[in-house]
Amino acid sequence: MQPEPLPQEVQQVQTEAGLVKALGASFAAAVVPGLGHAVLRKWDRALVFFLSISVMFALGLRLRGRLFGPDFTDLFTTLKFVADAGSGLPYWLSWVRGLGTGQAAAYTYDFGNVFIYVAGLLNMLVVVDAFDIAMGRKP
Amino acid sequence: MTGHFTNLVVFSVFVSVVFTFIAKYETRARVRYFFFLLGSFVLLSILAGWLMYPFPF
Repeated sequence: MQPEPLPQEVQQVQTEAGLVKALGASFAAAVVPGLGHAVLRKWDRALVFFLSISVMFALGLRLRGRLFGPDFTDLFTTLKFVADAGSGLPYWLSWVRGLGTGQAAAYTYDFGNVFIYVAGLLNMLVVVDAFDIAMGRKP
Repeated sequence: MTGHFTNLVVFSVFVSVVFTFIAKYETRARVRYFFFLLGSFVLLSILAGWLMYPFPF
């Protein structure tokens, strides 16, 4: 597949105010999936990202997945926590409420974990996308 | 939600939707890219499953 060419009106933002706006949008996206795009008035993308990532996260919990807390004793546990926490507020609210204890005996346990990891990792991509849009690198 | 295949398809749908909205800007391009990604996820997963079938572990 050929990469889609960027529209002509896309121009890079190089002002300090533009950078502040981009960082604000990125922070909003990191806290709530899709909020960064809503701040930038990209309503369709905001809705799609919010629904997709939130539903994936919720399905992960429903499939008996486990939420990995901030435990930095070894590399893999740290990476699991980073991937999980990428979802932002859904992760922290669930973690504080004691959800996502995980049932390793359930055959959906691994599916659940993967849903939760990937929801967080996708939200990290969404954060970068919000930054790029705010900087004028993407439409 | 039971069954590996159902979980695979649901997972692929959500990931494909997010990738599509990150990568494409026009409706027609989005629809084509979404189905391309979804098909790739599902078919390559089935292929990988068959390739791993003879493994004893």
